[in-house]
Amino acid sequence: MDTSGKEKEAIQLMADADKKVKSSGSFLGGMFGGGHHKVEEACEMYCRAANMFKMAKNWSAAGSAFCKAARLHMQLQNKHDCATSFIDAGNAYKKSDPNEAIKCLNAAIDIYTDMGRFTIAAKHHISTAEIYESELVDIEKAIAHYEQAADYYKGEESNSSANKCLLKVGAYCAQLEQYQKAIEIYEQVGASTMDNPLLKYSAKEYFFKAALCHFIVDELNAKIAVEKYEEMFPAFSDSRECKLLKKLLEAHEEQNCEAFTEAVKEFDSISRLDQWHTTLLLRIKKTIQGDEGDLK
Amino acid sequence: MSSDFETYEQDFGTITAEVTNKIGKIPKLSGEEKTQLVLNVDKQLEEVRELLEQMDLEVREIPIQSRAMYTTRLKSYKQEMEKLEKDFKRSRIAYSDEVRNELLGDDAISSEGQRAHLLDNTERLERSSRRLEAGYQIAVETEQVGQEILSNLHTDREKIQKARERLRETDANLGKSSRILTGMLRRIIQNRVLVFVLGAIILLTIILAIYLNLRSH
Repeated sequence: MDTSGKEKEAIQLMADADKKVKSSGSFLGGMFGGGHHKVEEACEMYCRAANMFKMAKNWSAAGSAFCKAARLHMQLQNKHDCATSFIDAGNAYKKSDPNEAIKCLNAAIDIYTDMGRFTIAAKHHISTAEIYESELVDIEKAIAHYEQAADYYKGEESNSSANKCLLKVGAYCAQLEQYQKAIEIYEQVGASTMDNPLLKYSAKEYFFKAALCHFIVDELNAKIAVEKYEEMFPAFSDSRECKLLKKLLEAHEEQNCEAFTEAVKEFDSISRLDQWHTTLLLRIKKTIQGDEGDLK
Repeated sequence: MSSDFETYEQDFGTITAEVTNKIGKIPKLSGEEKTQLVLNVDKQLEEVRELLEQMDLEVREIPIQSRAMYTTRLKSYKQEMEKLEKDFKRSRIAYSDEVRNELLGDDAISSEGQRAHLLDNTERLERSSRRLEAGYQIAVETEQVGQEILSNLHTDREKIQKARERLRETDANLGKSSRILTGMLRRIIQNRVLVFVLGAIILLTIILAIYLNLRSH
């Protein structure tokens, strides 16, 4: 693959397309279908150039070419094509410039919501949120996007996808210490998955997380909450998570840090606790005693 | 006389040695060999008794002065013989120690063996409990994987349902648009026919007008 050759070709195409666009602007026949024809051709050339840039791995150039194509589509009132080009631009920019990518994705989302295609808009909200998560590490905005996506999914009755987004929102909220919100989310998700035969095995996981959040806020809340969940969902009471919770509650009451650590270790030996759980448990442990405690 | 006695003594000695030997062997043996050996020992004991009797007679013939020594010797020989007989009896009855040991496990080695046995058992128990734990861990992991798969399935299910609905909608819309197009086509044809007809009428009128004009001249 002669990538440098492709790049030169691509640059050439861009130049040609630019010329076409300019010429169609000053051309009187631009009033007629003839003008449109030129613009369409230019559009196509932009797309081809962008693809060639992709082959040459020049992501920013590809992104900008796609953006130009998208604007031309907008002129031609081809909303669908416009949005698709913006998405392509976003994907290309993802690899080089996250901010530009977010701009393109936002533009595309606007178009889709305008057209009423909420599912796709939701999907792109998730992509945006992922970029915020990984590249830009802006958790607040990521939460906002995930929430938006969850709302759209709920509107379209895709409850499973909505739940997935909500879970992420919950996880990040708990990390940012917005416990009340996290509790609500987890309880809601737990309640809705309880009845579904496919999903009920994950329900206990959600109740466990909700109970942990309760725990950090206030110990009494946690006790009441655990009882409430056991009532709602009988299978919860024989899960190992529930047993762990009870032991933790006891240890907390007696302010016994070692019993706490031991219960956690025991649980960890069977199924490893992931990052989120470890962070929360550490916070709880710190409230037991003022000083530092090492979980591992 | 005394030389006879001495020969008797020597015989006595050898035979008793043999008998003790055989008595020692009897418990270890069983069945055919045992019965044979028992008969042998019986015969030898008979011989020993005869020897003792003859020694007795000899001693009686010895003059009283030197009899004391011989009588004591004779007494001790008699005691030995009785002991041999007792041993013999016991050996025939006792189901030898050997067999007992074999049945119940050697006492001499027993404490060592028991310890090793216990250690072995404990190790086996530990191994089994470790395996059980590992199995439990795997079961828990499997459950988690299962949970994820189930939730993915649910999402996919919803997506597929949506896609199917959209497909049906698209199908309906396509049908509608094809009907509209056929309608348009019909109207176009109608229009064209109309245009031709009108054109023909106009042409006719023009020709008529020209004709009438020419006629009126």
